[in-house]
Amino acid sequence: MAQDVPAVAGGEDTFPKLLLRNARDFTSRPAMREKDYGIWQSWTWGEALEEVRALAIGLAELGFVRGDKVAIIGANRPQLYWTFCAAQSLGGVPVPVYKDSVAEEMAFVLDHAEVRFAVVEDQEQVDKLLLLSDRLPKLEHVIYKDERGLGDYDHTRLHAFASVQDAGRSAIQKDASAIAEWEKELSRGGPDDISVILYTSGTTGQSKGVIIGSGRAIAAARDTVAFDKLNEHDEALAYLPLAWVGDFYLNFAQAMVAGFCVSCPESEDTLLQDLREIGPTFYFAPPRIFENLLTTVSIRMEDASAAKRRMFHYFLGVARRVGEDILNGRPVPLKDRVLYGIGRWLVYEPLKNVLGFSRVRVAYTAGEAIGPDLFAFYRSLGMNLKQLYGQTEAFLYLTAHPDGQIRADTVGPPMPNVELKIAEGGEILFKCPGMFVGYFRDEGRTREVLSEDGYVKTGDAGFFDSEGHLRIVDRAKDVGHLNDGTLYAPKYIENKLKFFPNIREAVAFGHERDFVAVFLNIDLNAVSYWAERNNISYGSYQELAANPKVYDMIEQHIVETNQDLASEPEMAGAQIHRFLILHKELDPDDGELTRTQKVRRGYIAERYQPLIDALYSGATSQYIETEVTFEDGRKGMLRADVEIRDVKTFPVAKQKEAAE
Amino acid sequence: MRAPATEAANATETGKTVLSAENISLTFGGLKALRDVSFDVKKGEIRAIIGPNGAGKTSMLNCINGFYHPQEGTITFKGVARRRARPDRIARQGIARTFQNVALFKGMSTLDNIMTGRLTKMHTNFLLQAIYWGPNQREEIAHREVCERIIDFLEIEHIRNTPVGRLPYGLQKRVELARALAMEPDLLLLDEPMAGMNLEEKQDMCRFILDTNHQLGTTIVLIEHDMGVVMDLSDRVAVLDYGNLIADGRPDDVQSDQRVIDAYLGVSHQ
Amino acid sequence: MQVLFDFLIGPFFQIFEAPIFFVEVVIGGMAAGIMYALVAIGFAVIFKASGIVNFAQGAMVLFAGLTLVGFLQMGAPLWLALIATVVVMVALAYAVERVVLGPLVNQPLIVLFMATIGLSFVIEGFGELAWGSDVHRLDVGLPRGSFFVGDIMIDRFHLVAAGSAGALVVAIVLFMQYTKFGRALRAVADDHQAALSVGIPLRMIWVITWSIAGVIALVAGVMWGTQAGIQFSLVLIAFKALPVLILGGFNSITGAIVAGLIIGVGETVFEVYWGQMMGGATENWFAYVVAMIFLFFRPQGLFGERIIERV
Repeated sequence: MAQDVPAVAGGEDTFPKLLLRNARDFTSRPAMREKDYGIWQSWTWGEALEEVRALAIGLAELGFVRGDKVAIIGANRPQLYWTFCAAQSLGGVPVPVYKDSVAEEMAFVLDHAEVRFAVVEDQEQVDKLLLLSDRLPKLEHVIYKDERGLGDYDHTRLHAFASVQDAGRSAIQKDASAIAEWEKELSRGGPDDISVILYTSGTTGQSKGVIIGSGRAIAAARDTVAFDKLNEHDEALAYLPLAWVGDFYLNFAQAMVAGFCVSCPESEDTLLQDLREIGPTFYFAPPRIFENLLTTVSIRMEDASAAKRRMFHYFLGVARRVGEDILNGRPVPLKDRVLYGIGRWLVYEPLKNVLGFSRVRVAYTAGEAIGPDLFAFYRSLGMNLKQLYGQTEAFLYLTAHPDGQIRADTVGPPMPNVELKIAEGGEILFKCPGMFVGYFRDEGRTREVLSEDGYVKTGDAGFFDSEGHLRIVDRAKDVGHLNDGTLYAPKYIENKLKFFPNIREAVAFGHERDFVAVFLNIDLNAVSYWAERNNISYGSYQELAANPKVYDMIEQHIVETNQDLASEPEMAGAQIHRFLILHKELDPDDGELTRTQKVRRGYIAERYQPLIDALYSGATSQYIETEVTFEDGRKGMLRADVEIRDVKTFPVAKQKEAAE
Repeated sequence: MRAPATEAANATETGKTVLSAENISLTFGGLKALRDVSFDVKKGEIRAIIGPNGAGKTSMLNCINGFYHPQEGTITFKGVARRRARPDRIARQGIARTFQNVALFKGMSTLDNIMTGRLTKMHTNFLLQAIYWGPNQREEIAHREVCERIIDFLEIEHIRNTPVGRLPYGLQKRVELARALAMEPDLLLLDEPMAGMNLEEKQDMCRFILDTNHQLGTTIVLIEHDMGVVMDLSDRVAVLDYGNLIADGRPDDVQSDQRVIDAYLGVSHQ
Repeated sequence: MQVLFDFLIGPFFQIFEAPIFFVEVVIGGMAAGIMYALVAIGFAVIFKASGIVNFAQGAMVLFAGLTLVGFLQMGAPLWLALIATVVVMVALAYAVERVVLGPLVNQPLIVLFMATIGLSFVIEGFGELAWGSDVHRLDVGLPRGSFFVGDIMIDRFHLVAAGSAGALVVAIVLFMQYTKFGRALRAVADDHQAALSVGIPLRMIWVITWSIAGVIALVAGVMWGTQAGIQFSLVLIAFKALPVLILGGFNSITGAIVAGLIIGVGETVFEVYWGQMMGGATENWFAYVVAMIFLFFRPQGLFGERIIERV
């Protein structure tokens, strides 16, 4: 474990030390905000220090000692962020857990991480933990933030967050030296401390606990803060899952290093409203969210008056034509410049304002490939949207677009201090400042992902283009071949399909088969709106998905995709021959998607075996029964006859042997 | 979901009688809506009134909150017997209600609707209000805070500023409950709180009703069609049929009562 | 051709030839418009609170005027007469609520509307009985005469009318916006039962609303009376307020003012420049035609909150 720890420039090598620095340097600047009872409450860095200190001393009173693990479960709440820091200050390790993970997953993580403490948001999480308590012998104390509904519970192992803090505060009141003692404990922390253990949901197998070292985490965050010139005047909105590396990185590590203010939305449902009110300057969202926002805007525009609609589409056209060129400083005719200026005043700025993006200085997207149209849409409005590529094991950033070098089809060049190389089979390997220390209690798998020369294997396949930008093709292990030897990259095909607004999810098959065939999910939002305008009535997703007119429309999309594929010599052989629209939406509750909404290919193939067989048997429809889990945990059966269609394919533009 | 420790039923037996209706008869023209109905509500309990359509359930609620004045019988609330009291007076005495078909102020936002529940609690004289800003503003803020707590309680933050006319039905019902709660009533009357809701909305509403009862300690009288819901929620059930009270007691007892099975359960299971 | 010229182009020549005259015509029209607006506001207040189109508003203007004149003739000083009239109007509101509205709670609005027609005749008859049917001159000492701004002649009385209408509107709007009465009033307007269930004393709200309408009627009565004397034709101005309400939106007080001005100016200008060609007396129908055309395009009125499904 004693690998070379990067030197830390500012001297602070743990997050609690950074908190002390921020409380000193930015005492009265806002550190956190939360909308509660309809009003934005805020805490300055000075107040945040007081809250963290009270909590830490309270935790110590409960018997929290160096090395203890604390599970953190809930939505983005200031109290939960403070818990990270309070635990770290005592030499403990925070272990954030996805709040909507099913009991099984949660039990595994809590047990594997050997947590003694859990700090949770509300009754729902407390109930879940109580239910699991006999499987978690090590879990001693559960602390909850929201007291609602918990008054009658047995409080021998249960504590209200406020009461823990009160215990800390009264300890300080009794003996003021408690503060100095806490600070002494805090100063014992160093760069080799474990800063956090992040469990990755993983597309396959059990979750792995990625250990992030304290010194490395701060070194990584310092690099990106400098890269995007973030400072204490920036604002971010914390709405990503706490357990995801992105949230810990962007809203905790970067905020601590740069000293900017993080705001917590009132609830998931008020997110858009809160976004508008806060107007963050730094914003991260997966492509899916950008897509949903665009869909919402488009739907609202359809209901606007004809004149407004015409104006909207006209100026969006202008933006699409010249917006990016103007942003990138390329020459643009004067007339278009003037039109863009008018458009900015009439459409772009008001639109950005409605979306809450008017103050955004740096925005990132990552996780999945973003559609080029979608990316261009936001860029052309004048928003500095960039892509990054990263991993939990890297403590996020590996590559990112520097300002002014932004392209939709790449994820940018390597970040400063990051070493990347491409292995034989196309797999991307890295060494970087934030590199993980290992998987918690899993030497075997730690060794598996490390190459002999100390690089970490990403599992992604990609290549550098002529400008030094990295392009991701697919998961390395997913790249396969058709029976005739044609290169087959499922994700590449799926992404092309998913860029149609009507298609929400696609799963391609073809490895060691004769041709490519796909499962599709339609986008209920977009297609139901389309259905409404075309007078198609339906009662459920299943009914809409099976509608022949919907099939016609989707078939058209696939024909276009095939045309597109036919124009690329390497991909032409992998055109889609057959498709079907699944009778249900792929759902993380059924294990078909990961919590981060990634497709679990293997599981889906197993679950829908009869449908896959039918795709390759030439049948035109297939009966299937599927077990589904409802939101309340009950299970049920879904039965359907799923139609299967053939799609027109195109001759390869230039006949060429598939190059190995 | 539910707090396991307290059983509200325990409190019921010892709870004081909040409201008692004695020998109530209500007639519209020739039609007898209620015949000699007596029942009581104890502090802290959830009391259900069930019965087939037209059994007189809503009439009973309307008598309790003063929309109807029964020709015979007395209603005693918090120890004071009354006849022919006006509904707004009764509301001020501490009885709030919701309606079967959602009666909200459609043009106002969710927050404004809930704020109307505070009108009776506002003490500053409205003529003074025009001249005298200080106390008025302070009072407004205090009331707003009560409303925000209710908004938080019922999880309707996201629709705070939406005109209620634009909300889906299930949420409108929740706003109506919020408005009633804003009155901090001693007795809450719910007229089919789950009518027309889907399964998920029903579960939410059940949770809110229970939370209201457990955490705010509000005494609740509810009319409901969904038998399962009634049996789960309530501490005591009164059964009406054609204006007559045919059974009254704990859910289990009522469920096994032969008259009830004949009049109601048998019908609903067809 | 000549007809078309006379109709479409001629009047505009006249306007350009004598712009000062045109401005004076417009000012005259605005003055008339304010008078309409004063009546229309009375309608709007009651409509807002109860959804009732109060047909008796015109009669209330007459009644208020007659009462004031009556008290003055009895030798009361002006201030006392004004206060006494306000008291009478509040008493009238109370009586209306007791006798007419209260018993009709929860009846369809059309029934209430019919009731106000009856009420109109009762008030008119009662006024006649109490104060006689002569035309009364009313002089409460409002400034008369005119002065010039540049070349434009302005009537002092018009300024007073405009000022008092403005003050009235500001007072009402403040009252509705910033007091709990305003919120209660909006609640009552939306749903009577729900309003009762949250403890809003419906009947008291109605008494207050009708009292406000009574005070507005008094102001309107004073203005109209000063200009044309208190006479029974005042009841008819209620009809002129209807197109104003349609244009402005039944439940909008701002709408009543704006629409009053539009109709006042419109009909005066039309009469002066086009009236001759149409055989004169166009004021009698101009407003109704405008309202009718308006109903086609924007039935909720300029400032109305929603389509009126209640009348």
